Amino acid sequence: MTGNYRKWPIILALGILTAPIILMYFYLFLDTVTNAPPGSLVPDEFTTEHWRFLWQTIPGRPSIWLATWNTLLFASITTLIVLVVSSAAGYALSRLNMPFRAFFLGGVMVLHAFPTVTLLIAIFLILQMLGLYNTLFGVIMVKASLELPFGIWIMKGFYDTVPWEIEMAGIQDGATRFQVWTKLVLPNVKPAILALGIFSFLAGWSEFILPLVLAPDNKVQVLSVYLAALIADDNNFDMALFKSVGVFYVIPVIILFVFFQNRLMNIYSGGTKG
Amino acid sequence: MAKEITDTARATPTATLSARDMAPKLTKLQKIGNSKYLGLILLAPAGVFVLLFFFIPVLLTGVFGFTNMSTATGITGGSYLANQSSMQALGDRHGFGELADQINQIAYTIDDVGLEAAAQDGVDADTLKELNTKFAGTSFDNRRDMERAIKNLDARPPNTRAVKALAKHFERSIINIRFESRQELLAAINEIGVTLTPDQQAAVIEVTYTGWVFSTDNFKRMISLPDTKKTLINTLFYVFTTLILFNVGFALVLAISTHYMDAGPSGFFRSVWLLPRITPPVLYVLMWKWLAWDTGFISAILGPFGVEPKNWLLDSPANAWTFIILINGMVGASMGMLIFSSAIKAIPKPLFYASEVDGATRAQQIRHIILPQLRFPILFITSYQTLSLMTSFEYILLATEGGPGGSTEVWALSTYFKALNNYAGALEYGYGAALALVLVIVGVVLSILYLKLFDFKTLTAPPKIE
Repeated sequence: MTGNYRKWPIILALGILTAPIILMYFYLFLDTVTNAPPGSLVPDEFTTEHWRFLWQTIPGRPSIWLATWNTLLFASITTLIVLVVSSAAGYALSRLNMPFRAFFLGGVMVLHAFPTVTLLIAIFLILQMLGLYNTLFGVIMVKASLELPFGIWIMKGFYDTVPWEIEMAGIQDGATRFQVWTKLVLPNVKPAILALGIFSFLAGWSEFILPLVLAPDNKVQVLSVYLAALIADDNNFDMALFKSVGVFYVIPVIILFVFFQNRLMNIYSGGTKG
Repeated sequence: MAKEITDTARATPTATLSARDMAPKLTKLQKIGNSKYLGLILLAPAGVFVLLFFFIPVLLTGVFGFTNMSTATGITGGSYLANQSSMQALGDRHGFGELADQINQIAYTIDDVGLEAAAQDGVDADTLKELNTKFAGTSFDNRRDMERAIKNLDARPPNTRAVKALAKHFERSIINIRFESRQELLAAINEIGVTLTPDQQAAVIEVTYTGWVFSTDNFKRMISLPDTKKTLINTLFYVFTTLILFNVGFALVLAISTHYMDAGPSGFFRSVWLLPRITPPVLYVLMWKWLAWDTGFISAILGPFGVEPKNWLLDSPANAWTFIILINGMVGASMGMLIFSSAIKAIPKPLFYASEVDGATRAQQIRHIILPQLRFPILFITSYQTLSLMTSFEYILLATEGGPGGSTEVWALSTYFKALNNYAGALEYGYGAALALVLVIVGVVLSILYLKLFDFKTLTAPPKIE
């Protein structure tokens, strides 16, 4: 379609603009396993010392494995809640003839666009009053709730694409609406559930502000807060260590990204954060 | 021609709508399983979550915004405490200076508690007995009267020091004592011999209460503080610069330039530009810090040219803003890129072929074919990202913490600092909530407006995964 135009100037120009990102990622990985002389960007030795945090706990910090476990719990339970709740609610909004349907739909759309971070102070105080401050349970509930409008919206979109004929056939054969949903419709939206699941997991894994405000304690610390606290500590400045912890933290994200890139691209264009 | 394209693009939602219209027909046909109840049951869990963490927080933000809640007042109830500052306030705010002095002073009362304490302390039993018979229930306004009364006893203590020690046991003051309820406080004031009129009672209760109370002071303060204006200007600058340069501008550049590439390079560039979005914010900002640090990349590159190494991120407000906008913009650009790309993809290919046959340049193609088609997505990205930029502070918090000297502090960040994290440790929940309330109102209004402005269905069209 564009055969009449030269392509290399565009590729070159965009390549130059893209170079900083590539450079940052290249050095992110390079610096974790090498040492460079002061003031130089060319490493002169290979080392594993920056990864020592894996086998010895950094003074004043919880163990990296505890933080990893907390992050895993946080991200997976959040994902589970989002999947279960939004696949039910999405189906109700997409298919079921119920009272106030339009009202609920409008509500989900408003919430979808609504900036949740503005509610942080009230949520903080609510968790304090409920005694859920500094617990993983509290912050999981909050994160899951804030992800829900997006999840419901995406799931509703997927249910909308499932042909009605499947359900009609099910009803004809004597199944209830509930059976139709679990036995016939859900298997049809498996790809959606997978995509939303990966998206929610990544969102949970990356989340920083909520655990920072609602569960900053060492015992319930997640990796994002762990890494931020490490960087903020002026007494132990060690960029290579920060980067190594960062790489350790980002590995699951990169793996999921590589395998599910196309699904994620689709869901990201559905739009969540700025 | 362009109009026709728009029409086909709009046709898709109508198709799904007609599918939805079949629902009532179906239920009339079958009447098996009551979908009304099933729908409500399936929605219920979502409803509980939304109620707990959306509606209640929105309401409470409104309520808290009108309180003086802080770490000093606590978040649950408070107690009643008469101390120097509350007595000062009683005089200053209510004009009961005399009353404040009365409450402030120490009185002496001969009562069982004092007698018992004195007996425990080893004071002679005869002295106490006499004191009890002569003065039980009597109050003295000051120490001199009390000591004189003791000295005049038949069985008086042996020396002045013992007299003073004995007097000490009958000292009664409500200063710096916490009372759990207002009744206890009023009873205690009564006990030290001060009688209050109803007016005075109300004033005393008000000044001694340590818990939070309702007030509109937050909003008066917000309007009067010069910081507010500065934060507002910062916010507007941040939102619109990032939006125009990156979230829309650079996103267009990315979408259009990758459109003119083969599948290989265009896929590569799109993936790379998605990296900032999928990288956890803490790590993403760390990479920028490495770039800007005084031992980092920029300093190392510029070192041989005689530029002093410095922390480029925080050395001047201008540099700080440059980085803040780059950091946010590179994340923001990817969303526009994806949405614009899919809109360009929806343009029928023959249009491009035909224009090329007619001798159109690439600039003409962009101007007359691509951009008209992108009008709607651009409007969407602009409105959507205005809201999310305005309320996001994660990247600024991680990168500059609003520095240097508060020059990059935006509204959402100052809300966070006031209520949830500051160096002094005195967290002003009430004031923070009032600041957040402004954002909440803007958020609610804009989201409802967008809902009216766009048919969200066409915009967040179901991702075509299969």
